[in-house]
Parts: sequence; C-alpha cells; structure tokens
Amino acid sequence: MGGSIAPEKILRELSDLWVTLSKETHGDAADGALRACSMTLVTLTEESDDVSELGETIAALMPEYPARAIVVRLRGAGERMLSERVSAQCWMPFGQHRKVCCEQVEITATDAALADLPSVVLPLAVADLPLILWCRSARILEMPEFQPIAAMAHRVILDSAGLRNPLAALRQIPDRSAHGVLVGDFSWTRLTRWRETLSQIFENRHNLAESRRITKVAIETAGEPPVAAWYLGAWVMDALASATVYPEFHMTRTGESVPGEMQRVELSGPGFSAELERRGARLIVTVGGLAYCNNLPARSEYSLIAEELRIVDGDPVFEKTVASAQRLAGVGS
Amino acid sequence: MPQENPFQDPLRFEERVPECAVVIFGANGDLTKRKLMPALYRLAYDRRLSAGFAVVGISRSPMSDEQFREKMLDSVKKFSEDTEIQDDVWRAFAAGLFYVAGDIADPALYQNVAAKLKQVEAERQTGGNVLFYLSTQPSQYAPAALGLGSAGLGKGNGWRRLVVEKPFGHDMASARELSDQLHQVFAEAEVYRIDHYLGKETVQNILAFRFGNGIFEPLWNRRYINHVQITAAESIGVEGRGAYYQEAGALADMIQNHLLQVMATIAMEPSSSFNANSVRDERSKLLRSIRPMKPDEIRQNAVAGQYGPAKVGGKDLPGFRQEEGVDPQSQTDTYAAAAFYVENWRWARVPFYVRTGKRLPKRVTEITIQFNAAPLAIFDGECPDSSPDMLLVRIQPDEGISLKFLSKRPGSGMKLRPVSMDFNYGSSFGERSPSAYETLLLDAIMGDPTLYTRQDMVEASWRVVEPIQNSWRETRFYFPNYEAGTWGPAAADEMLARNGHVWRKP
Repeated sequence: MGGSIAPEKILRELSDLWVTLSKETHGDAADGALRACSMTLVTLTEESDDVSELGETIAALMPEYPARAIVVRLRGAGERMLSERVSAQCWMPFGQHRKVCCEQVEITATDAALADLPSVVLPLAVADLPLILWCRSARILEMPEFQPIAAMAHRVILDSAGLRNPLAALRQIPDRSAHGVLVGDFSWTRLTRWRETLSQIFENRHNLAESRRITKVAIETAGEPPVAAWYLGAWVMDALASATVYPEFHMTRTGESVPGEMQRVELSGPGFSAELERRGARLIVTVGGLAYCNNLPARSEYSLIAEELRIVDGDPVFEKTVASAQRLAGVGS
Repeated sequence: MPQENPFQDPLRFEERVPECAVVIFGANGDLTKRKLMPALYRLAYDRRLSAGFAVVGISRSPMSDEQFREKMLDSVKKFSEDTEIQDDVWRAFAAGLFYVAGDIADPALYQNVAAKLKQVEAERQTGGNVLFYLSTQPSQYAPAALGLGSAGLGKGNGWRRLVVEKPFGHDMASARELSDQLHQVFAEAEVYRIDHYLGKETVQNILAFRFGNGIFEPLWNRRYINHVQITAAESIGVEGRGAYYQEAGALADMIQNHLLQVMATIAMEPSSSFNANSVRDERSKLLRSIRPMKPDEIRQNAVAGQYGPAKVGGKDLPGFRQEEGVDPQSQTDTYAAAAFYVENWRWARVPFYVRTGKRLPKRVTEITIQFNAAPLAIFDGECPDSSPDMLLVRIQPDEGISLKFLSKRPGSGMKLRPVSMDFNYGSSFGERSPSAYETLLLDAIMGDPTLYTRQDMVEASWRVVEPIQNSWRETRFYFPNYEAGTWGPAAADEMLARNGHVWRKP
C-alpha cells in the first residue's frame, strides 16, 4: 500500500491483464477473451461494507452493462492513503468458447485522500463512454469532497433511503441537478412497480374517463413516511394536475409492518376508487370492485442499479417529481 | 375526459397495453397449449397485460370455464420453459379465462361467443376490444371468419383484429381466395398474418443493425456484397407431422413465408420511419423485386431434396419415406434451396442463396453476408482465405452478430489470419429475450402490425415460389438424395459452385 496512485500504472496493468486473459486459451488460438465495455461505472462504497455482496452485484451487471468498473472503497479517517488493485470479471456465455471480460479496478482511499480521487479516476474513465457514479455510501454524500467527485460523472445514483435525514435528499437532489449532474435515487427506482401498476389502471379507457372524478389521493405508510412516499404522492398529484384534476392529498401512517415502507395508495372520488395495497410480496390492485394481484418482490440492489443504468440521459419525470415532492413535504430549498 | 393516460412514464414503463379479450379458436390444440397460453401467462407474469385481460377459448370438446382453466394450467406448467408458476399470479390470470364449446361450422357457436364476450366485457371492462386468434386447421380459417361476420362480431364497441397462422394458402390462387373471404368480415388492416420468424429478437435486430447505424448501410449493396446466404436448418425430422408435411414440403413450409421475409428484412430499402406501414411497404417492395424464375432457370437455381435413412451418432434414423403417415413413394421436398436475384439497382446480380431442410446436421438459422475480396491481393500467399470478410447474423441458437476479417498474426513476417468480432445477444444483454409469440401477441394487442405479413407480401412471395412449386410438381425426383445428418443434396453445392461460391457450414 502506498500514498499515491499513478493512473498510467493502472492503465498498463489493465493492458497486461488483457494480454494474460488472451493467453488463457484452451488450445484453440481463435478463442480467448472478448473485451466488452459500454460505460465507466464508479462505485463509492465503505470499506466495512460486504465486499463479496458488491462483487456479486457488479458481476451480475457486467453481462448486461459491460463496463470498466472502478470500485472506490472508503476507509474513513486515518492517514492519507490511496491504493489500487486491477482485476477482471469474466464469464463464459452458454454454448460459447470464448470468455467475455470486463475490467475492474479497486481503489482504497482514506477520507484524507478523497480530494485526490478525481485526478486518479478521470484518466481511468473509458473515452467516449458515459461515466456513472454509484454512491453506496451515505456518509460521503454529506462530505464536501463529494462535489468534485460527482462533477466527473455523467450521472450520479444514490439511495436517499439510507441517509440520516432522508428528507434532506429532497433538498440536495435538486441542488445537484442545478450543478448539471443528472441524479437517480433508488427511493424512486423502488416505486417503479407501484407506479407502473397504477398507470396500467388508467390504460383502461373507462378508468381514464373516471379519473376526472378523483377528489382524494391518500398514501399510507408503515412508520414515518419515507422519501418514496413523498415521491409517489408528488408524482400522482402532478399526473392528475396534467389532466386538470386537482384532488386533496393525504399522507397517513400506521404502526404496522416494516417501518418506513409504502403500504397503500388510494385514488378515490364519487363513484370511483382505485387502490394499490402491499400484502407481503404482493401488490393487490382493486379498481371498481375488480381485484387482482401482482408480484411485488423486494428489489435487490442489482435490480435497482440495473434499472438506473438503463437510463443514460436525464429522467424528466423524476426531476419534475423531486421538485413537487419538496413542496408536498414542505422542505423547500 | 383526458385523452392520454397522464401516468405514463415511457422511460421506465413497458409499452402500454390496452384492455382486451383474446378469443382463441382451437383452444384445445397444440399451438394453444405449447405456445399461446405459456406466452400469455408470461406476459401476465411480467405485468404486461391490462388488469381486465380475458381469454375466451373455443374448441369442440365440452368443458366448463373451470375445466378449461385447469387444462391451461397443466399446459403452462408443462411448456413454460423459464417462467415460474406463482399461485396467486396464476389465479388472477385464470380468473380471466373463459371457454365456449362448439363447432366452427355451427352458427350457434358464434351466438354463444357473442354472449360470452358481452359477459366478459361487462365483468372485465375489456372495452369491447377483441383479438380473434385462428389457431385451427387452415381449412377452418375462412369458415371461422365468416361465422364471426354473420354473428356481427367483426365489429363492436372497441377494435376487432384477426390473427391468422400460416399457411396463407397453398398457392397464389388459394392465398387470394382466403384473403377475399377474410376481407368480407375484416379489413386488411385488421388482419394479422403471423410469421413467428419476424418476432424473433435477432430478426428485429437486423432492422436496428442496418438502420440504427450509419456504418453498414453504405456497404450494403452490389458494389461491396458478393452474395448472401440464408440457412434455416433443422436437425429433427417430421416428428409425427409426416401426413401434414408431405402436403406442404420445405419450399412452401419455410421459404415461401419465413425465409423470404427474412431475406426481405436483410435486403429492403430503409423505410422513411419506423412506422408499421412504411416498414411493410419496403419489405413488400423488395419481395416484388425478386425475379420469378423461368422453367430453365429453375433447373439451375433451385434444388429439391429429401432425406434418406442414415445412422447418426450410433442411432438409426428413418428416411422421410419411412416416417409414419408418409407415402413410401413421396415426392415431397424435405430440403429446398434456391438462388434468388433481386431486380433493383442495389442488388442486381447479387445471388441470395436460401436453403432449408430437415435432418441436417444441426439446428441453426443464420444469415451470411459475404463481402467482396480486396481488389488487390498484396498479401498473396500469406493469406489463408481469399474472401475473408463476412458478416454473420445468427438468428438461433446463440443469437448474435459476428464480423469476420483478416488480421496480422503477431510476430515477424506478414502472415494473416481470420479473426472474428462477436456480438452475442445473450451475453451482451443479460435480460431474458421474450419468445416470438410473446412479442407478436403483444404487438397484435397493441395494434402494431410491423412484424406481421400483409396480403401483398403473401402474394409477392407466392409469385416467386409458385413457379418453382409447379415445376417440381411436374418433375420426377430420384429421392432420397441426401442422408440424414448431412448438409443436403450435392446438387445444392453444385448450384453455388457454378457461381464460384460454397455454402457456409454453420
């Protein structure tokens, strides 16, 4: 371990790695390793986090989003220290003779060395491809050193549910967007299935026509309303407003189930009611007396990041929702 | 009333799917059990169907709704390859399954269907939208459509569409007759002729590859492309379908529909937009540009084959004439190959070799675009391959695209070797690819006919295939002319050799 890292050295190691991988053939000179890359994915994670869990997530992402993965492990307080290790994630597609490989660089940094991180990461970014910053550490989000790191990225993905003060995220996200950084939030990603199911209800022309009757939108959460509940409320209210429907909004909480979870959303008015209710791993949908159920499996970290990586440019619906959620939750910037 | 769903988020949500009922004629048949119901359940599992989605199954066997649901559950369990059967998802899906028993020839059936659809529309809020799916014997297509028309089911509160499986006639005259009968009830825009090859991800990817990139299209013409090969090989025989197959043959069963559609996708001009009619207009134009062969050309440019018995991997395989239900003197082609020429400026004099066959060495469908060799061979003697540049589009299995070209071998001297740059669909996108039937059913429900065949395309294909079919009917073949487990008759190799070409061995 040393106090500094030379990006050229890492690039040389990556180059050597490819030569080694290509030599690992199985007797057929035409085989070898196929390099794949569609982005640079920089992941900020605490050194104390389960490294194997993150490794599995990144490995699972690679076939779908081949990337040069740079994992920055944050050591926290201590002497200024930066170190690196280069490796590859390879897999053999079923029925193929050739491995497909993606590069992985692991950098360990103490807080004192965070200021040096952009100068190390930027030269390692693959040219002409987007750099996505996935911040798994809630701690670093609140540190001033995060700003120059985020500025390198085309898009920053975070999880407001992990923040000490989640509602603060409603202030921070628009701030980051104002600095030209596109932001994604897992609290929003977790809502996709709820939102899509709700949207499906109004694909039905009858229900769409009935939506003008909606006078009340009620969201129920178990425990303190999480950021996701404010997002959902804001999104529903924005959507209805775009159809010139302006219902009342109610946020209520129950003491049941897992704290901070979405439980139920109901859109109702005279002669119309549409309700989505979580029951374990199922989402029960009731519209006009007709009930059916959808799967609502817990979202794995892999499925969340995979959904976010699908979005390379901005997410206008999310951006509009964040601004509205601020107002709805009364946490204006 | 809002005109558009204000909750849509196209960036994150799957495409919107309208409410509807699917009425399946032949609900007790193989296609329903093996393909349609597993595909519909998968769509429900993936939350792609609307809340009140309903299926009305029709066949002759008396059955209650409940018995039909149980039967369909068995089929889904048996034939869903990669979909978990979850009790409550199935229960919600099964609540939308209904059944009507009756004979297609009996007018009372259609009255019963009308009553059931009325009930379904009220209970499930399907908005009067109905997709009729003819999964029956081809001889029942017209009676079913006409029966629906007599009962007034061709029109209703919502949209009405009719899905028809191949074959679309057995020659030009019967294709036109069928079409005329369907058009008595359904307008051409409401008729969806299914060609499951066009639903395959890689066939759709040909459009993305050609028209989403700027680098290939400038090379996509007679100046740079030497010839094209389209191969659809099956390793299996007729598998109990001998009686049906001997009436159809490889030419009509595969080339007339699937492979000419694939060829049209490879060779069509860019459409002005990705709009169903624009894409289909270009496909149709290409099919109409294929030169029908004259009798003397057929002998040169088309080869029929039939497999004989052989021992493959230590196992004795019967020849076609030994298969159950097959005439021991059958003249049916189990292999067909042809060299087609497209008469337009882009493709003049470029052969498109198309072949398909049963009991070939492996199951593979692929397209090979062979580029011209470099105009001057400055590495003469150091190059193992005189025409190395080749683009390979693999449709199944291992869907993907490979580009083969020459590269210098590392080390001293200028020795060249062919290398391949591969894009593998499965490994590059880890997501599960939907089955062709999932794609096509969803497209029909959403009213997108891009991947469906239009009547003018059917007629254009028959215009190309019928002269060959007629000529072969008048020819006495000395069958069998290839052994099971080989790449077809020698005459097919000779057909290419006359142009200085060889079939690629996939």
